[in-house]
Amino acid sequence: MSLQFQKRNSGQIVLPGEPLGVIEEFVPDTGTYVKDGTIYSKVVGRALIDFLNKRVSVFPLVHGARAPKVGSIVVGQVSSVQSQMATVRIFKIGKKLLSGFFTGVLHVSDVHLRFVESMFDVCKPSDVLRAKVISEKNRTYHLTTKDKSLGVVYAFCSHCGGMLQQRGRSGLQCPRCGKSEKRKTAIDYGKGII
Amino acid sequence: MSQKTEKLIDKKGLRLDGRKSDELRPIKIEVGALSNADGSAYIEQGKNKILAAVYGPRELHPKHMALPDRMVLRCRYHMAPFSVQERKSPAPSRREIELSKVIREAVEPAIFVEYYPRTAIDVFVEVLQADGSTRCTSITAASLALADAGIPMRDLVVACSAGKIEDMIVLDLMDIEDKVGSADVPVAFMPNLGVITLLQMDGILTHEEFEKAVNLAIEGCKKIYTLQKEALRAKYVSVKEVEE
Ligand SMILES: [Zn+2]
Repeated sequence: MSLQFQKRNSGQIVLPGEPLGVIEEFVPDTGTYVKDGTIYSKVVGRALIDFLNKRVSVFPLVHGARAPKVGSIVVGQVSSVQSQMATVRIFKIGKKLLSGFFTGVLHVSDVHLRFVESMFDVCKPSDVLRAKVISEKNRTYHLTTKDKSLGVVYAFCSHCGGMLQQRGRSGLQCPRCGKSEKRKTAIDYGKGII
Repeated sequence: MSQKTEKLIDKKGLRLDGRKSDELRPIKIEVGALSNADGSAYIEQGKNKILAAVYGPRELHPKHMALPDRMVLRCRYHMAPFSVQERKSPAPSRREIELSKVIREAVEPAIFVEYYPRTAIDVFVEVLQADGSTRCTSITAASLALADAGIPMRDLVVACSAGKIEDMIVLDLMDIEDKVGSADVPVAFMPNLGVITLLQMDGILTHEEFEKAVNLAIEGCKKIYTLQKEALRAKYVSVKEVEE
């Protein structure tokens, strides 16, 4: 290899493929990879060199590209509802808005800790809901809303399309036509946080 | 077009645009030129003007094309109808389909494809103005756009061409040199790992000439790499770390 090692300082911006050190010197941590004993950066980020623990990592400067993983909190729009399950178009993973979308599935048994009879009491098409990924079996992202912070965060009236407002604990009402609807809402429903 | 029989290299050893044999065309690179894409880059190399955009990782449709253990990299190289002297039909030509494959295979070794199973990454390369060696310029831009999208990569990929015109090995061919000259060797290179990811040869070269052309192209790649790094750094110098 013709390229020379440069002495790197913590906080310096590094690019994919830039050498950070050798494995005899440091333990490679997040944002790095090892090839032939040399530690390289694999993202654009700031190099963090911990001389005390002999660790080197790269803190990403870009909201990293990501796909849903088990445990990630996602936000999506309900695209279809059947009595047993709903399909969700995920457009946000963690804090990252996606340019495309992923499809997730929410089953009635994963909505609440208690028994839920029908998916129609949980969400309707075009609602925006926050959920957690619990499994990626069979090439599908299975979601759950079994938490106070998870559930519908935006819902629209199935009669006139107006935005529903919270009435009581789980009741929603349309301010335009007065229709009452049922949803599994998140604790911060209607606060504009997605 | 009438084929002019002018000399490609003058008595002083300079080429038509006044370059020496081992000189690159002037290069200007901008990272993050498009706000809608996850990552993008714009590059001007001489009269070449190329825009690259990256979208993804995202869900793959139709779903049966998805791979269970890795992501699919899709690449589309397209020349704008106004990019060449005679209007080019916007429909993908044979050449564009081939170049899409060439670019994909040149950047793929740099990407950790196994990190995002069942997803796709789309790379769109749009040639706004073409003046020879567009495949090389496209690869340089595409790898920058991928890095800008935050996709984990082993290294950046740089590409540069060398060729033979009038018995001389020269760097970075432009359109007329490519057409009139006798050989063209595009090389894509990962500068930190020292790996060649694309090597083609169009024309006839002797063994020694070929070796010389490859080495010259790699030297060119290293020069472009410093510009690539500068451009990528320039975008992020002002950016603070992202909070998780
Ligand atoms: Zn209403």
